[in-house]
Amino acid sequence: MSQAAEGSSGASTVEYIQHHLTNLSVGEGFMTWHLDTMFISIALGVLMVVVGGRVARNATDGVPGGFQNFVESILEFVQTQVKDSFPGHNPLIAPLALTIFVWVWLMNFMDLIPVDLLPLIGTWIGLPYLKVVPTTDLNTPMAMALFVFALVLFYNIKVKGLGGYLKMFLFHPFGKFAMPANIVMTAIEEIAKPLSLGLRLFGNMFAGELVFLLIALLGGAAALGAGLLIWFPLQVVLDLAWLLFHILVITLQAFIFMVLTIVYLGMAHTTDH
Amino acid sequence: MSESKKPGLLLIGAGQILTSMIVSGFLLGYLLDLYFGTQPIFILILGGLGFIGGFLKVYRLLTDPELQ
Repeated sequence: MSQAAEGSSGASTVEYIQHHLTNLSVGEGFMTWHLDTMFISIALGVLMVVVGGRVARNATDGVPGGFQNFVESILEFVQTQVKDSFPGHNPLIAPLALTIFVWVWLMNFMDLIPVDLLPLIGTWIGLPYLKVVPTTDLNTPMAMALFVFALVLFYNIKVKGLGGYLKMFLFHPFGKFAMPANIVMTAIEEIAKPLSLGLRLFGNMFAGELVFLLIALLGGAAALGAGLLIWFPLQVVLDLAWLLFHILVITLQAFIFMVLTIVYLGMAHTTDH
Repeated sequence: MSESKKPGLLLIGAGQILTSMIVSGFLLGYLLDLYFGTQPIFILILGGLGFIGGFLKVYRLLTDPELQ
């Protein structure tokens, strides 16, 4: 259940949604720090490292236990993806892909925790706002996308050389007779990569979160009057359905982010375009 | 690009490729306009180019997924 409708007007619905979409932040303007996003994403990163380290330390050669088996299957899965879509050899790619996959998945998974639970606990310890899912904050996906973009630029220049990379700008889509258009087109194409990478993850997660909030509002309407409790079964059914569907969405988004990272870095490693 | 076994999955992103090409065209045009002080010129040209490029890219992606 949600504590949605504390007031008794339609404005409280809007307030509820806006409250859930506001970050706990300090600072203003360009230097705003979203503390909840940073804290949760770093905590999940630490969790990933600690759990992974423990599994690695306790790993056995013989018959693996349940959890080790699970971790190994993830590792193998990522390894197959890298082998399939990455030409050449680079020891950085597989760990990067694994980190991105698991971390994005964990951050997305925060979406499946009941929308009001953590913000409610937050109000008990005096936090006015708490936005739980780091990937619904545009900063997180865009930061990761920009990091991948920086890596792509680095490897483009490292593998093809600065000249080779610039040549791609000059001759790429239309051949050598349309150089100005080529420069512009390739620049647009390069900028579109991180943009689509980040916005895709953000858009899917934000929309999913919003649907969860709207479903929570169905039951929250009961605060207006007990008669509205008839919506409660509907809320349960809808929430469960969207939850199950959303498991698929978060996995798919983490997977796509990983695969596209591998593909973009793979394109940076191929000399002929 | 070596042969990829799951081009079908990557086609999920085709829609976003089109939109982000257009958006990045406008973005680049806006920045150029800001730099040169020629308000609507670059944003229109680069927006149009991004539109064309986005269509071209999606078309190529859909007809020949190997090209990426």
